[in-house]
Amino acid sequence: MADPARVLVTDDSAMARRWCRHVLEGAGFVVEEALNGIEALEKVLAAPFDLILVDVNMPRMDGMTFLRTLRRQSLPQGGIPALVASTEGGEQDRAAARAAGANFYLVKPLTEEVLLAHVAALTGRLA
Amino acid sequence: MTDARPVSAATEEEFERLCEFLYRRTGLAFTTAKRYYVDRRMADRMAATGSRSFAAYFAALRADVGGEVEQLVNSLTVNETYFYREEHQLRCLSSSLLGPLAAGKRLGEPIRIWSMPCSTGEEPYSIAIWLLENWPEVDRHEIEILGSDIDSSALAAAAEGRYGTRALSRLPPAVVARYFECTADGEWRIVEGLRESIQLGQANLVNSEDVARHGRFDVIFCRNLLIYFDDASRRLAVENLYDALRPGGYICLGHAESMSRISALFEVCRFDDAIVYRRPGGKSHG
Amino acid sequence: MPLIRRGATPPHPQLDGPSDPLADLGAPDPDLRRRAARELGARPDSASVLGRALALEGEADVRSAIVGALVRIGGEDAVAALLPHLGSDDAARRGAVLSALQDLPETLAHLPGLLADPDPDIRVLAAEIARAMPPTAAAELLCAMILREPLPNPCAAAVDVLAEVGSPDCLPALHACEERFAAEPFLRFAIRTTIARLSAGGA
Repeated sequence: MADPARVLVTDDSAMARRWCRHVLEGAGFVVEEALNGIEALEKVLAAPFDLILVDVNMPRMDGMTFLRTLRRQSLPQGGIPALVASTEGGEQDRAAARAAGANFYLVKPLTEEVLLAHVAALTGRLA
Repeated sequence: MTDARPVSAATEEEFERLCEFLYRRTGLAFTTAKRYYVDRRMADRMAATGSRSFAAYFAALRADVGGEVEQLVNSLTVNETYFYREEHQLRCLSSSLLGPLAAGKRLGEPIRIWSMPCSTGEEPYSIAIWLLENWPEVDRHEIEILGSDIDSSALAAAAEGRYGTRALSRLPPAVVARYFECTADGEWRIVEGLRESIQLGQANLVNSEDVARHGRFDVIFCRNLLIYFDDASRRLAVENLYDALRPGGYICLGHAESMSRISALFEVCRFDDAIVYRRPGGKSHG
Repeated sequence: MPLIRRGATPPHPQLDGPSDPLADLGAPDPDLRRRAARELGARPDSASVLGRALALEGEADVRSAIVGALVRIGGEDAVAALLPHLGSDDAARRGAVLSALQDLPETLAHLPGLLADPDPDIRVLAAEIARAMPPTAAAELLCAMILREPLPNPCAAAVDVLAEVGSPDCLPALHACEERFAAEPFLRFAIRTTIARLSAGGA
């Protein structure tokens, strides 16, 4: 059996990270956390991930800036699938996320089913 | 075997609350495996601050009363200062950073390195010794190393260059023999030639004129300082550090520190030996 | 030795010649704009000029200097210059402004208005601003907010902050919120976690 997929959950809300960890670990994923875009970049540069889940509004470096930086660097990790989860539901926000390099854009609040379905789709597996 | 927990041991929820705050504020992460370790240190700090409850202590911690964040973090991490501390950063300096920086220099233009805060001098002397010992190009370039601190008594000690055996414990014997003299009272003193090669002076990182006076640097070591500043001071210090770096210059933080809790001004650069941060621009990106 | 020690301090490039920071704030060269913004931090009457420049500035390091200057100026003028940008389309600008407002105690007076703003995204950001305000005042405002807030996201933002700044006094408001949002799994999770946190302590 393949190693479980590794997901980086990036959100400045401790509750959001805690809930995502609970849902994803429950489904067999390995979860690491980051509090903002800078920490996410550091973690991505240090270890492989199958998927990054990223919030938009975070202190110091927001999710859009993080995605643009990630996609811009000529790194093997630059192409990691990215799922943006944001409280903002406008078409403009969705388009901005796509332009920044998001693979999918979800509007909060998330449910377990929606999160797992998208994580499964982007990692190509259930866990 | 049951171990007697101290009366002020945190509950599960209190431990979570404390850890979430510390993670948000400093980036330090403690798992439940470290529960007892954190409990003990927190109990000590509660006693030291006269806090009668977790709620009272947590409030003091959040408000950083008496620099409590630094006190708690210092008690939770290892903080000795010694020569070749964080050797991986020194290795990164010689292996990855200096090459491109040196390539961008005009003839006669020195490479400038700033150790700030330099405290009692272990860091700037370590940088000097490391480069002399480990950078093959060292004789082909002029290198200026400046050590600064706000504390004039620490600077006086740095100028004296006297250290106990413990501070030298990470140095290979050959290195000790080359750069230190054993003194009459069993201490070690940096040889005069090296003492004379480092510039030491007082500087306050929060004061922009003070910082600007020193010109621009290629590499700045600013370890275990920024993370403990209050928000207003940290803002000023970060802007001053940015202005003190040449475009393409690098800044190195303490091993438990990250720019994620400090500022987005700098690019994150991962090298084999270390993560360092870079002022955008310039031509130094390797 | 290749190590050199200078006797004199090196020339300081930024002190060359007189500067006109108000004019330079609109210069094409971002280095000039950054230098101008930094200088204006020492001039308390430049808050509104800096606030207007913030709307147009695309360079991250210039924006950082503008925001830093506003925080240094401080006071109601700085808060007034920053507030309009909370609704910016640019996530980076929003974040920089939020962080600055957190560093300004005068922001507290604006919080009730922000927590009741017609835009739910502003209400979410306002909850995060409250995290940096004095905890008793913040907790009171957030508890009042979650009693009447119609949407789950601003509630969740408030609950996240209450987990850090709250006390057992917040429990009734949290229970009431939990009942109203029984159908929201993440929010219920957050509220239950926060209730457990705040029930355990307070001795």
